[in-house]
Amino acid sequence: MVCLRITDLRPAVDPLVGTVTRDRLGVGLTPADGAALEHALRIADAWSGRVVVVCVGPESVEPVLRDVVALGVSVVRVPLGDEGDGHRYVAELVEDERALARTLVAAIAPFGRPDLVLCGDRSADRGTGAVPAYLAHELGASQALGLVSVVAESALDGAPWTLLVERRLDGGWRERLRVSLPAVCSVEGAGVRLRRASLSGALAATDPTPAAGSTGTTSAAVASAANPITAGPGSIHVGPTRPFTPRTRILAAPADPDPRVRLLELTGALVAHDPPTVLHPADASEAADLLLAFLSRHGYMDEIPGATRPSPVDGDVEIDGDGQAR
Amino acid sequence: MPEQIEFDAVVVGAGPAGASAALALARAGRSVVLVERGPFPGSKNVYGGVVYGRVLDDIVPNWWEEVPVERWVVRRSTMMMTGTQSLSVDFRSQAWGSAPYNGMTTLRCHFDAWLAGKATDAGARLVTSTVATGLIRDSAGRVVGVRTDRDGAELRAPVVIACDGVNSFLAKEAGLLPRAEASHHTLGVKEVLDLPPGAINERFGVQDHEGVDMEILGCTRGIPGGGFLYTNADTVSIGVVVSLPELAASGVRPEALIADLKAHPTIAPLLAGSTLREYGAHLIPEGGYDTMPVLAADGLLIAGDAGAMTLAAGLWLEGVNFAIGSGYAAGRAVDRALSKGDCTAKGLASYRADLEGQFVLADHKRLRKAPSLVLSERVQQRYPGLICDLAEGMFTVTNPTPKAGALALTRQVAARHGVKLRQLAGDTLRGLRIFG
Amino acid sequence: MSAVMPGAGKWDGISFAQRMATVDFRIGARAHIAVDSDICRSCTTKACVSACPANLFAPTADGGILFNYEECFECGTCYMVCNSEGAITWTYPDGGHGVVFHHG
Repeated sequence: MVCLRITDLRPAVDPLVGTVTRDRLGVGLTPADGAALEHALRIADAWSGRVVVVCVGPESVEPVLRDVVALGVSVVRVPLGDEGDGHRYVAELVEDERALARTLVAAIAPFGRPDLVLCGDRSADRGTGAVPAYLAHELGASQALGLVSVVAESALDGAPWTLLVERRLDGGWRERLRVSLPAVCSVEGAGVRLRRASLSGALAATDPTPAAGSTGTTSAAVASAANPITAGPGSIHVGPTRPFTPRTRILAAPADPDPRVRLLELTGALVAHDPPTVLHPADASEAADLLLAFLSRHGYMDEIPGATRPSPVDGDVEIDGDGQAR
Repeated sequence: MPEQIEFDAVVVGAGPAGASAALALARAGRSVVLVERGPFPGSKNVYGGVVYGRVLDDIVPNWWEEVPVERWVVRRSTMMMTGTQSLSVDFRSQAWGSAPYNGMTTLRCHFDAWLAGKATDAGARLVTSTVATGLIRDSAGRVVGVRTDRDGAELRAPVVIACDGVNSFLAKEAGLLPRAEASHHTLGVKEVLDLPPGAINERFGVQDHEGVDMEILGCTRGIPGGGFLYTNADTVSIGVVVSLPELAASGVRPEALIADLKAHPTIAPLLAGSTLREYGAHLIPEGGYDTMPVLAADGLLIAGDAGAMTLAAGLWLEGVNFAIGSGYAAGRAVDRALSKGDCTAKGLASYRADLEGQFVLADHKRLRKAPSLVLSERVQQRYPGLICDLAEGMFTVTNPTPKAGALALTRQVAARHGVKLRQLAGDTLRGLRIFG
Repeated sequence: MSAVMPGAGKWDGISFAQRMATVDFRIGARAHIAVDSDICRSCTTKACVSACPANLFAPTADGGILFNYEECFECGTCYMVCNSEGAITWTYPDGGHGVVFHHG
């Protein structure tokens, strides 16, 4: 099974409130997702297995799924809300990865329990890479994340199938792991590129009325792109939190001809600092107001947003004097 | 042995020409495949921004009820400018703002995808992300299909319609287009700028879905060409179209020309506070009727930009409508040829005849001299300044010095710009003869 | 490279890199442009350098041309303005790759 996160590859992120805006024209497979699918196809060839692709997403990802169907694999799409007129998701699905993992597992239940689940290790729109770990938990499978190579070992008679995988370590080292099944692996977008579908596969994927088994592929497409299997949305609860990222403040370069003075100016070594201010606001909205006031006083915000105020922060807020909110 | 798949016709390129050709064939009950190299139709295309939809009347009845439109053009403004002056002829018609409409601003990724959707609805097969890498010929030299870059797989058909755009490598391979002829091409560069709909309405004097179409002469540092400014729903498109060899000779960066235009005192206030959404560029074939290639070979037709069917004659900037007209005509000609069982150049000759009979080539023929006039040195480099100075002379109040007479003023200003009155009158006559 | 490339200047406040960052490029594995620098060394005009709207061509100190293919608009300007037969070989990128305009 391959889990794909199909989304805008270049989503616009509001630098102030972190809202992710996706353009439906930008949807595509990330290199990591493409690599996951390619690994899956190679392993399925080696084991004479079958590949099922599952994806949570709105209808706008269907052109990408059609390209995936062209490769002769089965595709399941779990529908996700509608995109609204501004192509914005109201809910940030990725913020509850555990619910997402449960949804994915439920969606593929009709196909039986997968021996191997492959995912890309990152997505372009704030993915945290935690879904594979939750999937492993839900399936009771072993996990190996962030891999650069996945090779199916040829099984000796009677011995269980295993995978030989590699991942990067610090300092240019790599570690090699042997993974037993069932397993969940996430792969980097490196080393392999997704193969291109054959012309007949691509044509078959566009066929509005596919005849059963007409594609002649080993794993007959059970779902055409025109009518992919869609599973129920499951129980996905999405919290209201959003990260707050202040705008970068651009400072003029020091102009003094003396390099030493410039260095001192840059490091701020001789500048007197305000002592850190510890604030004890009574409630969350007051804390937010204080933070916003601080940021705008120090030139990080052009204007204080009225309607798009960042979410409340609980507890004490410590702000130090050099313009960084911590 | 590469994979081979048979169709009645292969159409290369899912732009307006290709989609129309595929639509015509699919409606005639032919099996047709539409090959597009981008991930979706329109993904490789950039144009100024206006489609004139009259050509669609016969193809998609009541098209205006479903077409993805940004704004309906109700104002056309033709502007002459120098660095500090501008003179506009501004026309507005509210009739253009209601059905059946005249021109609309739209974006190609939406418009081309819509038109290709019409073809697939009619039964054409669209295969995207696939490049047609070359023509397949039989032993007699007739074109019988195309090779693709999907493992070299072949699409075979008695006829191929090449709608693969201005660079048409298929038409080049067939010898219908020269390999590289800079002088028959202009380069369009465009910026799409974010601007709130309210600001667009206020600054351009329109409301709701009404839009403006501005063509500008004299903004290209003397490089033959012109500028344009179009309003979309919540963006504006601004750019310049310049002669390719002259641009190369000048050494000027294309985006610098847009920057000049955006900084002009007439344009800058219209765009204040906008931010860049997307930058893009595309070539435009611009030879006019006299340099139009042969449009048919044995088993091959070319349509749209591949056949140099654009009209960029100053007052008219059109291309998508010719692409649709020629593509649809090509599709019908292929259907007729298939019925007769003769797909040689002779069997496909009804295409050219059809185009000559309708607006596609009639317009090109009538305006065949326009490119040379509009791109001439006097029109490009002298007249914008001359006309602006003339207006400034007429409207500047010089009391107590008495006003100069119009003729005297014209003579003075023309002399200042190095233009003889005889030339001015001659060009006016030429213009009237071409455009009138 | 410390030298500022000709024409890579800022216009109306945004750098050329920012300008190009507004465009969606899906970069293919194969370079669809090839330049024969041996031919370029005898070229005096190097029209591709200034005319390419994506600024992909840079002259090198030894008279050759250094080029990128990744952020190409696929317009064809470079090979059209090139006055030396065979210096620039230009094809379309592989299907599905290359520029994707969202506001063409």
